[in-house]
Amino acid sequence: MNKIKLLFVFVAMALAVPAFAAIDTIAVDVGISVFNTMPIGVVPFEEEGKIKWANEAPHLILTRDANLSGRFEAVNSDKFDLVLFSKKRARQYVTGIATKLPNGKIKLDCYLYASETKDVLLGESYTVKPYDVRQAVHSFFDKVVYRLFGERGVASTKLAYVSKIDGVKQVVISDYDGFSRRQITRDSSINMMPVWQKGNKGLVYVNFRKQRPNLYAITFGGKETPLFTQFRQTFSPAVNPKTGELLFSVTDGGKTEIYRGDMKTGSAQKFLHLKSNQVSPSWSPFASEVLFTSDRGGSPQVYAVGKDGTDVRRITYMGHYNERASWSPEGDRIVYTSMDDGKMNIYTCALDGTDIIQLTSNAGNNEHPTWSPDGKLIAFASDRGGNYQIYIMRKDGSGVTRITNGVENTSPTWSWFFDEKKFK
Amino acid sequence: MGKVFKIALMGVAVAFFAWGCSKEKPQTDPEPKADPVEAPADTTLNLDALVADTLSADSLARLEAERLEAERARLEEMINRIMLEDVYFDYDRSDLTENAKRLLAQVAEILVNENRFIVTVEGHTDARGTEDYNISLGARRSTVVREFLIAYGVDANRLLSVSYGKERPKVQGSDETAYSKNRRAHFRVSIDQ
Repeated sequence: MNKIKLLFVFVAMALAVPAFAAIDTIAVDVGISVFNTMPIGVVPFEEEGKIKWANEAPHLILTRDANLSGRFEAVNSDKFDLVLFSKKRARQYVTGIATKLPNGKIKLDCYLYASETKDVLLGESYTVKPYDVRQAVHSFFDKVVYRLFGERGVASTKLAYVSKIDGVKQVVISDYDGFSRRQITRDSSINMMPVWQKGNKGLVYVNFRKQRPNLYAITFGGKETPLFTQFRQTFSPAVNPKTGELLFSVTDGGKTEIYRGDMKTGSAQKFLHLKSNQVSPSWSPFASEVLFTSDRGGSPQVYAVGKDGTDVRRITYMGHYNERASWSPEGDRIVYTSMDDGKMNIYTCALDGTDIIQLTSNAGNNEHPTWSPDGKLIAFASDRGGNYQIYIMRKDGSGVTRITNGVENTSPTWSWFFDEKKFK
Repeated sequence: MGKVFKIALMGVAVAFFAWGCSKEKPQTDPEPKADPVEAPADTTLNLDALVADTLSADSLARLEAERLEAERARLEEMINRIMLEDVYFDYDRSDLTENAKRLLAQVAEILVNENRFIVTVEGHTDARGTEDYNISLGARRSTVVREFLIAYGVDANRLLSVSYGKERPKVQGSDETAYSKNRRAHFRVSIDQ
């Protein structure tokens, strides 16, 4: 009896050790999900007339949207297959009918069905030019997310980032999935640190054409304006999500401090009265507080402060280099870049600095994290593949997907929702 | 009658003077005979002097241009010397090393004596770290250098500082050799017109 007991204890211990080890790695390893994703069936569209897709067929766009969303996991099938969908627990599926019209446009009838009953849960129709199919399918996918989760999806959002074009860093924008890239700056100096203006009207970014860092604003389809020209060197812009006003860093006499300014009037006041240097401001989702980096402790660390610039508190304590914190749109966590042994990695932590989770590891440098507006995803730049490219991962570090290629892509910033008004 | 005599006398006097001159020449110029090679050289020299006399205005302009050119070359050489020398820093530091101070003293010496230079001190960092923090680090580096030069006596109005952060590395690469070359303050010199 004792022998059996002993054996039992032994077996229990043997089981427990690897179990602990496995738990230990959840926080560290890339690709182990703590997300519960929902399977969703994806079936190719029926095509009436031979259709030449501009880049991808609609069901492939939907598959990518589903897998990137952090909410779904696509279950692909060539045709409706109840056995497969049941087995994979895909209780809904998406498909549609594509019709080529005589005027060259394409009519997309997109449907969300309940797998078992084949009830239509959602039906949307779009008539678009071939090149706009992607946009239409993204839009449909966001409606699917809203229908099933009651929340807004991010398939119609965009990213701004820095792309090296002919050896020059240029600001570009693209769909959140890296498609439909558009060059915004065409300047031969350096363009960097793009952020989205309120309402996605345009961008604010840093340019070196005066051989020093200066902030500029550009309106899409409009003109570019220099910002806060009363200062010689300005950078690190952060747009207030409620008022559109700007926090940014000003360098003067070797000291870098955060100012708060109105883009329209050009007036700006010092935001923080600290002896230390301050960079990388970031607003909380409701603009009640601000995160920033300060070297007041001798090394760059993340601090939080009230929107009036008072009540500074330190957030990060672990390590010697914690920078570029960004507040989750859901409000509960912050993401930041930490450097250890010369390698940069992305971490999240609770608002008091506890519950630290390392999202990236053993994969080159990983930096410049930016939240999707629904708070489910994080885009970042990594040189894990040899050169810097933009990747998207879920907020737990799983599902890392590269979305750019080319020479070098860095510094992504996610747009706001494009339908802000509708949901106000 | 008296007039004719006067002219005759003057004629004699002139003739005498001319004879005197011609007589003097062999006396004072014995060397050309001893060394006949020198004679043609002498005549070309005279020719040069003649040319110089007739084209004196052009020549002056040319000399002036040459002088300016030499001056420009001298300045350029000084500028190059300043711009070639970068001030290096330790990792994540903006204080000056002993080497840096020695180099800066030399640069300051040039700048104190040549008050036409306007110098922009560029602060640079290595590739590690974020863009934002590196701009603030580069700003500290450029300011430390600028302040050292001011303390040495260089006019503050002739010194600008700017930070490029990690945007303009001198050397590509991700090892300490490259990093140490990129953690620097660089001088950009222009001449005040």
